[in-house]
This record gives sequence, structure tokens and C-alpha cells, in this order.
Amino acid sequence: MSNIEKPVYLEEKLEEIQASGHLEYRSKSLPTWCPGCGYFSIVEGLTAALNNLSIDPDETVVVSGIGCASRFPFFIDTYGFHSLHGRALPVATGIKVANDDLSVIVVGGDGDAFAIGGAHIPHAARRNVDITYILFDNGIYGLTKGQTSPTSVLGFQTTTSPFENHDMPLNPLMMLLSYGASWVGQAYAGHPHHMAGMIEEALAFKGFSYLHVLSPCVTFDKTSKTYQNLGMSVRPLPDDHDRSDVMAAMAQAQKTDAPALGCYFEQPRPTLADGLNDIAARAAK
Amino acid sequence: MQRNGKKATDLQIAICGSAGDGTIAAGDMVKRAMARAGYKVIAFDVYPPEIRGFGKCISRVRVTSEQVFSLKPKSDVLISLDDSHAIPHVGEVKDYGAVIYEDMPVTMVPEGGHISGHLLSSHLPYGVPFRELSERVTSSARSRNIAVVGYLAGLYGMPRDVFYAVISDKFKTKPAVLTKMSIQTFDAAFEVGENTFRLDEGVLKPPPKKAKHGELVMMSGNGAIAKGCMDAGLDTFFGYPITPATTIMERLAVDLPKQGKRMLQTEDEISAISAAIGAGYTGARAATATSGPGFALMSEMMGLGTMAEVPVVIFVSQRGGPSTGMPTKTEQSDLNIAVFGAAGDGQRIVLAPTNVEGCYKCAGKAFEIAERYQTPVVVLLDLYLSNRYEAVALPAKNPFAANCSKPVGKLGKDQPYHRYALTRDFISPRAIPGDKGRRHAVTGLEHDENGRPNDHTHEMMSRKRHEKLHSVVRYPGITMSKRFGDKGKVDVAIIGWGSTFGEILEAMIIARDEGIRCAAMKVVLLSPLPMEPINALLADAAEVLVPELNYEGQFANLLTGTTGRAVTRLNRVPGTPMHVEDIVDEIRRLAAKKKGRKALAAE
Ligand SMILES: Cc1ncc(C[n+]2csc(CCOP(=O)(O)OP(=O)(O)O)c2C)c(N)n1
Ligand code: SF4
Repeated sequence: MSNIEKPVYLEEKLEEIQASGHLEYRSKSLPTWCPGCGYFSIVEGLTAALNNLSIDPDETVVVSGIGCASRFPFFIDTYGFHSLHGRALPVATGIKVANDDLSVIVVGGDGDAFAIGGAHIPHAARRNVDITYILFDNGIYGLTKGQTSPTSVLGFQTTTSPFENHDMPLNPLMMLLSYGASWVGQAYAGHPHHMAGMIEEALAFKGFSYLHVLSPCVTFDKTSKTYQNLGMSVRPLPDDHDRSDVMAAMAQAQKTDAPALGCYFEQPRPTLADGLNDIAARAAK
Repeated sequence: MQRNGKKATDLQIAICGSAGDGTIAAGDMVKRAMARAGYKVIAFDVYPPEIRGFGKCISRVRVTSEQVFSLKPKSDVLISLDDSHAIPHVGEVKDYGAVIYEDMPVTMVPEGGHISGHLLSSHLPYGVPFRELSERVTSSARSRNIAVVGYLAGLYGMPRDVFYAVISDKFKTKPAVLTKMSIQTFDAAFEVGENTFRLDEGVLKPPPKKAKHGELVMMSGNGAIAKGCMDAGLDTFFGYPITPATTIMERLAVDLPKQGKRMLQTEDEISAISAAIGAGYTGARAATATSGPGFALMSEMMGLGTMAEVPVVIFVSQRGGPSTGMPTKTEQSDLNIAVFGAAGDGQRIVLAPTNVEGCYKCAGKAFEIAERYQTPVVVLLDLYLSNRYEAVALPAKNPFAANCSKPVGKLGKDQPYHRYALTRDFISPRAIPGDKGRRHAVTGLEHDENGRPNDHTHEMMSRKRHEKLHSVVRYPGITMSKRFGDKGKVDVAIIGWGSTFGEILEAMIIARDEGIRCAAMKVVLLSPLPMEPINALLADAAEVLVPELNYEGQFANLLTGTTGRAVTRLNRVPGTPMHVEDIVDEIRRLAAKKKGRKALAAE
């Protein structure tokens, strides 16, 4: 799973992409992200996954909050809802409550999710809203030009922590596991093929699936979560990892120095829509 | 509009007791029975602010043969189920009014603790051993409140059958013996009441015409909102509990799933409106309901609804503020936040019904309007309107239209769909997720017609968002404003909104009876304002009075700001409805002022 797997030739790559069909999901607008930003590979991964699963773009909504990551709906050709900072999950919940037939994918940054939007994550998870939440964690506020985020490491220096960051970073995987998320996984933007596979798995899962993607902000973070640092520290989950064992998943999630990639936990259970259908059936009696 | 005073029935009953005495339940029986009998009824319950064992409850019910618009400051009857709570209310009983209370041996009550010692010489005392009566029939004192109701019915010559029907209805799901025993208690007390000395004028005149079954129903403002939502085909409701809006959510939690529709209790008000907007985006009819503190949290999302052009309906039942304020007291102080409360200059649509029937109408129409104009619609209520009961006649045919969205129609080959396309009426044809080949993103960023982020379009798009709302003043099937009273030139015009309009109308009727030329206007559409009728009234009026339950005069500010006309403000914030007498006094003062000016000019 190395960064450079084989030499890439432009023509070959273009042919390969066109043949794959997943260009269909790409919007006509070019992403406005900085060259090298990890987010590019997430668009690539999601379009590939949608294509592989033959998900109808007319029946798909990508919902986001605000941030660099949240610009995502403009760069993909499905229905899109670019909402408010921190509010993607409740908007997505409303969409699913109103129309459960739609495939809903939520994207956003770490600030959007764990700072301003932190109150919504436990509830989307516990209700098991049937959506896929792809969280782009760059450990920094990108759109507002480089401030400290809830996942910034201790000692990190930014414009708002010019001396150093003293606030313990959150552990999103631990949080999601304890919130009762029914599918929890981690990927790395520097391993696009693996990530595309993880996105596909998360999309295919029925229920609330949370994919944490480590993704460098090349413009504002030169020291912490860089391609170099992450590339050296990430590792696959052990082969014998049991994804039905929440304690094993938590033990892996504790190892933040060497983030493990893969599916940590999976436990199908009735979704929010199942619950609401059940209520309607009882009420009809 | 004149009242033929003497011959008509106008009986206001106040029942006062502790939580647990069945006070509210007794009031409920009276109002339902009287509505069934064909009388006009208006009722308002006051609960204790704390959920504490023995807090004071008062249920006030006004029964009339002609339509009235508010409760009276003085009641004709006070019924005490708990003297310690009722004693402070003795003063609200009118002269020759009745006070009905539990008759107890004096030795059982502490000095000064019995209500009989507090009555004025002009009151008619009716001490009745209700506890004993109830125990004699049901061998329990628990049906004491039914005994009280029976006695009242007997004393005032109310028809029995309507009470039987209400009692059977009340115990419908309980063992049949309960209904039987309750009716026995009622009858026993009725006979005592019937055979008590009473003033003839007290006896109820028969209603003008007996209501057909189901014609008049007792409904609270919040009940009417829920009914309006259901009749308008509400698909999804999201809410977070808050007094006095919670009962809307509780009603819908029962009614929506019965139709296969959905109610979700969210983690906070931000999520509630976010989810409602998410649902609205899919083409579903979606709503939330809240009060001041929750409404404050919703501001940012309402701005998104305006910018992204997503329909959603927000019911706001106002209570005393700012901040947590007075959760169980009424006020009209969220007009500013409803009309202006969000970042940027996004205009929104604000409707404020003035009575229970209006709640039903506004609720249903709000969905049509939100859909038609693709924007949030706020329906402003207040605690007094939410919780008060009126006998309303619902239309026989569902008055609300389904899907009012502007359809996309056929697009030419290679003609792309633009979500925010500029059109002559500034309303864009709307596609929703699932529509084939109409993919687009909606956003809170300023955007071009295609929905792509773009700052250069701001001038044009701001115009679109404002202009599209102008025609809402003419939206069919709903009264946006209405003038009552004298036509043509008037000495005093009273303009009002929300529940206070009931008191305004009563005050206007009294002032006209005194020979003052005056007119009253209710404004239901508070944003954008129906300028034409407002300006016409202002042109007719020598003096303009704006009574409202807030400190600064939020509606007065709005009126003066849009018309440039200085108005006289009448502001009260007691947490209770405005007193009709206060408004009448102000009308008299203004009318005299005008006369004075005239006299001066003549000299
Ligand atoms: C209510 C509100 N507060 C603040 C902002 C400003 N803001 C926009 S994006 C952002 C943080 C973005 O960081 P993150 O969510 O981590 O996403 P990234 O840009 O790193 O992808 C902030 C604070 C806003 N848009 N809305
Ligand atoms: S600022 Fe950082 S996160 Fe934002 S686009 Fe640039 S590299 Fe990506």
C-alpha cells in the first residue's frame, strides 16, 4: 500500500478513467482546492465508488456544511446541498426522513464536524440514519486559512495558537464507536485505491457509516499531518482484526500515533427509517 | 357591529384550584359541552409555572350567544376548588356575580382560610358540600370536579345532554362504570343546583341555533395549528420541546404516523429546522414549531432557507422574553426576530393569526405559500393564542391545495436546468432530488442561476429574492388584513396583530357604542406588509393606536418605518392578555384629543 505503486503515464491514465465511466459523476466545475490537497483523491474515490455500485446520480444527494471539504457538492454531478457550517448531518437526516429512497452522502471537515457540528454526530449515529458520512480530517481549518481545529495535535502552531495548541485533540474514531455508529472505518487520502474501496464499502453498508479520511492540508499545515508524516505512520488494521468486536475496534482507535486504515467496526441494526416505519405501522392499528 | 346586550347570553366562569383538583378538566368539560350546545365559547387556562404539586390552576370559560373576541376582565362566576388559591381572585367577580365553593364547617378551616370570609357584599355566595356529594354517589372525592360542573350546569340551566356526551367522550377509553358514576355525580349535583335560589337573569338563554353534530368543535390554537398541518398534507415534522409550542409536536406525534407520515424529535432547534429544510428540499411538506429561545437558534438556518430557496414552515409560539424569560406567560415580542432575525437582508414571509380559526387557516396556507415562493414562512402565535380554546367551525371541504411548487416543464434538448433561473415573477421552476436530469446543488453561498458560487450576481439575486415575495399580499384563500368598524373617515384607527386583536375588537365595539367613530384593522401578513389597505386606513384616521404586548412597540416600529406615520403606542408586558378597558381608555383619550383640536380650530 505504498504511495507510488507504479509509474503513471498521462494518456494511459486518461483512457483508464474514461473507460471506467465514473467521469459521469464529475461535475463540470473544476475543484477550487489547492493543488495537492488531499480532497482531490476523495472526489476521485467517491465517483469511482458510485460508479462501481451503479448508484443513480439522479437519486443521490451529497450534503455538506461549510469548509474547504464542504465545497464538495459543487465538484460532483449528483444532487447537492451545500448547507451551513456544522449542520450537514441534521439536513441529511431531514432528507432521509422525507425520502428514504435517496442515497445520501455527507461530507465535511473536522471543524465542521467536531467543533461547531459536534452536537449532531451522536444523534445521527444513535438513530442509525442510513447515510454515509465521509469526514475529511486535516487537523486544521482550511477555508478560513489555517486555524487550530479540534483534531489539531498538541503543540501545533497556527494563527490562533501562535505559541502552541494546549487543547487535547479529540479522538473521532473513539467517539463514533461509543456513539453507537454501526459502521466505522478509516482511510488515508495518500492511499487513493484503498480509500476508494473503503468508500465503496461504506456506501454499500445499510445504516450510518462513518469513514474517517486523513487528508493533508498542503497549504496551511507544513509540520503535522503532512503526506510525509502520515505516509510514514499509517498502517493497515491487523489481518485478524474482528470488526464485530467493539472493544477491539476501540483498542485500535487508541493507537493514534500509528493510525490503522480499514474497517474498525460493523454491526448492522435497524435504521431510522425502519423505526419510523414501525411507528407508522403501530399508529395505523 | 353592535351587541344587543341584555337579551344575549354572556357568562364567564372562572374555575380555580390546585393542580390535581381537576380544575382544568372541569373547565374543559364546560367549554366542550357549551360548544356542543351551540354557544360561542372562548377559554383560556393558566397553569402554574413550576411542575410542583399544588400550584395554582385557573380555567376561564366565556360562554356567549354572539361571537366575542376575548375574555372579560371580570367573571360572572368564580368556582373555588381550593380556597387558598381562589381567595386572591374574588376581586375579579363582578357585582351580583356568584362565588361557588366547598362548604365546610368553620372549625375545619384556619382563620381567614375560607373563601366565604372574603366575599364582597355584592357577591352571591353558594357554599355546597361537593366533597360529601361526590363521596355519597361514588364513595370517593375524586369526582368532586364533576359535581362542581353538575352544580354549575343546574344553577345556570345548561342543557344536560351535552354534558352527558362530553362525559362519555372523556371516559371513552376507560371502564364503562366510570362514565356511569360520573353521570350520576353530575346529575346529583345538577339537581342541587337547579333547586338553589338563583337570579333569573343568570339563567342561560338558549343558543341562537343548536349546532349540528361536528359543526362547532372546541379547539386550542395549537390544536388548530396541528389540524391545519394535517389537512395541508404535512409530510414531516421536526421539533424540540419548548413551552408553549410543545403541544403542537405532541399532537403531530400521534396524528402524523397514522397517515404514514413522520415526526422526529431532534437534539435541538438547530437540528429541527435543519432537518425540516432538508425535508423541504426533497419536495416534502416540512415544519417545525418552537418558542423564543429555540427561534433564536434557528435564525442562521432560516437565512439558508431564504438563500437556498427551500420551503419550510416555522411555527413560533411567543412567550415572555428575552432569554428564557417567562415560559408560561404570554407576550408578542418576537416580531422583530421573525421579520428581521438573520444575517443579511433576506426578507421572509411572516403570518400571524389572531384567533383559533385563523391558526387553522394560516397553518395550512403557510405550506402552500412556502412552496409557491420557495422560502421559509414563519407563523407567529403566542401563548395566549396557542393555549386558548374557541368553538370553531371547520370548513366541510379541505381548503388546502397540494403541491403548489412551480414545475420545471419540458426543457429543450441540451437546454440545461437552472435551479435559480430568473423568470418574470422571479420564481424559478423547482426540481427536487430524484427528478431525472435536473441535478444541481443548492447553497447558502451567493450563486448564479445554476447554483454555482458567484459573488458578481449578488445585486441581481438579491432583487430576485425580494421581488418574488411581493405578490404574496394577494395570495388567494387567506385574509392578509381586514378592516372592521366604521367606514370612511374615523377619529381613531386601531391596528393590531396576533391574539391581542381580540381585545382590540372588543374595545372598538365598546368605543363605537359610546359614539366614537373608529375602525380596527388586523394585519395577518406581517412581512411583507399589505401596504395598500394599511395606507388607506391611515389616510382615513385622525389618530392611530397600536396596542401590543411588548415593551417597545415592535409592530408600531414596523408601521412607522414603512409608512412614515407616527402612531400612538399602547404597550403592556404583564405576561397576560391586554385589558380591553385599557384599550378603550386610550381610544377615548385619542378621540377627545381630536375633538379638542377641532374645538381649538373653531375658536
Ligand atoms: C457559523 C459559522 N461560523 C464560522 C464560519 C467560518 N468558517 C468557515 S469554514 C470554517 C472551518 C473550516 O474547517 P473544517 O471544517 O475543518 O474544514 P476544512 O476547510 O479544513 O476542509 C469556519 C470556521 C462559518 N462559515 N459559519
Ligand atoms: S486550504 Fe488546505 S484543505 Fe483547503 S483546499 Fe487548500 S490544501 Fe485543501
